Amino acid sequence: MEEDDTINPNLTESTEHASLQKKHSSMVERLSKRHQTRSDNSDSSSPSFESVSSFLSRFNLLKTSIESNLAESQSLSSQLKPHFDNIAVSISDLEKLVAQNSYFLPSYDVRSSLKTVSDLKQKLDNLNSQLIPKKKFAFKNKGAKKDSVFIPQSKPSTVENVVSEKASSIAVRDSPGFRNETGHVLIKDCKGLEVGEFTVSDLDSCEVRIIGTVRALFVHRLKNCKVYVGPVMGSILIEEVEGCVFVMASHQIRIHNAKMTDFYLRVRSRPIIEDSNGVRFAPYCLCYQGIEDDLHGAALDQETGNWANVDDFKWLRAVQSPNWSVLPENERVGIVDVSNMNNGNEEI
Amino acid sequence: MGLLSIIRKIKRKEKEMRILMVGLDNSGKTTIVLKINGEDTSVISPTLGFNIKTITYQKKSRHISIHIEIGRYTLNIWDVGGQKTIRSYWRNYFEQTDGLVWVVDSSDLRRLDDCKMELDNLLKEERLSGSSLLILANKQDIKGALTPEDIAKVLNLEAMDKTRHWNIVGCSAYTGEGLLEGFDWLVQDIASRIYMLA
Repeated sequence: MEEDDTINPNLTESTEHASLQKKHSSMVERLSKRHQTRSDNSDSSSPSFESVSSFLSRFNLLKTSIESNLAESQSLSSQLKPHFDNIAVSISDLEKLVAQNSYFLPSYDVRSSLKTVSDLKQKLDNLNSQLIPKKKFAFKNKGAKKDSVFIPQSKPSTVENVVSEKASSIAVRDSPGFRNETGHVLIKDCKGLEVGEFTVSDLDSCEVRIIGTVRALFVHRLKNCKVYVGPVMGSILIEEVEGCVFVMASHQIRIHNAKMTDFYLRVRSRPIIEDSNGVRFAPYCLCYQGIEDDLHGAALDQETGNWANVDDFKWLRAVQSPNWSVLPENERVGIVDVSNMNNGNEEI
Repeated sequence: MGLLSIIRKIKRKEKEMRILMVGLDNSGKTTIVLKINGEDTSVISPTLGFNIKTITYQKKSRHISIHIEIGRYTLNIWDVGGQKTIRSYWRNYFEQTDGLVWVVDSSDLRRLDDCKMELDNLLKEERLSGSSLLILANKQDIKGALTPEDIAKVLNLEAMDKTRHWNIVGCSAYTGEGLLEGFDWLVQDIASRIYMLA
């Protein structure tokens, strides 16, 4: 386009002058028309506004509202958890806003906005640890839930019979797994057994322990659960989980529709998340009698560091995804030892 | 000379086949491609985007009395990621596909509905209407996996358009079992259509 219409002034001769001028004016008109349609398009299709000043005013507005929310929490005594969750969501929205507009912002503004975001996060973390007493991670503290806790007394291999099995609409046969439970401790000991695929689904406020090696693990619809898993030789597929803690080792891990959940992982490849937010990652920390041999057998004895190499399929940009983060070291649970829970469960 | 015959001529010279591998995430597409190419399959991350592999395929007839080299083909295999977010990009790879490989995780009973729905959508696509369809019922090595027969029932393959050339083969990308059998069928079927060799 430009090449066609570029006029070299040196060649302009008086005879051609009139026609060239006409050509030139029509070119200018075409260009302005094109520019018009282009800007119309960008107005309608893109949520961003490509103006530094309007970005900054919106950014500051959101920032101020988050700060006032943070200040409020000092005076709140109850409902702190949901309050903090809301603030966390606002902060991550703010971060998203920065990232969405980062392509046109001057680098100084990107840096300073990101700094503001991380300061806000820090403040929230500090308040969180100040105002909400940190729960110590221990199995002993479960005493309070005594009446609601269920321990399978039978041999581990019969556990799957205890759990009520609900066939999916087209499943031809039931697969081993834990399904449809609330407030129970569910233990599966796979040692010496050849376990193919294992399913954990539709659980609320349960604790799941899978000792030994399985080939594939499917996790679906879990709320407020703790899931401790020995090595998985193949892949793990997680969908629709909220408020959970997972400690797991596998060759591949895919996480879909997860909210406010912590993952302690050892993975041979890069874990991925999709349609998730508020998920945090830390290294694997499970321990039970003989776990070293199991990990070795599953080629998972090496720490690859991949637990922190998370790919977010909903965030294919160079900037860090706002949907996940590394779990700060001081908030990690430490080593989770599930070996003594294998036999006798008198502590619970 | 029609366009189709020109394309056929060009293809006959190079004997190339374009093969598109699709299926839900976690079905094992990348592992299958690496396995048939003899590569290491121990570290594979979920595919963000796609991989292309060019593989030379050679097969001689086992019937000694006939002595026919069935053929030497170059397979261009397009392995496209199956995560939900990127399934909408599959359509970008439909053009000129000779063979379609639909990979199923036979141990993932819960998502067979999803699997059927995505396959049905794919088969409605006009640009794929002439391609041969190989369904690989993968992960047969996992205890509790459905057999290829069960998968065929669930996906209701018998109800498919009668003009479609299709086959279902059980396989394990982990052990390699069944992979060659599946690709042998696919290459033969495509060859018999495009290169008119039986």
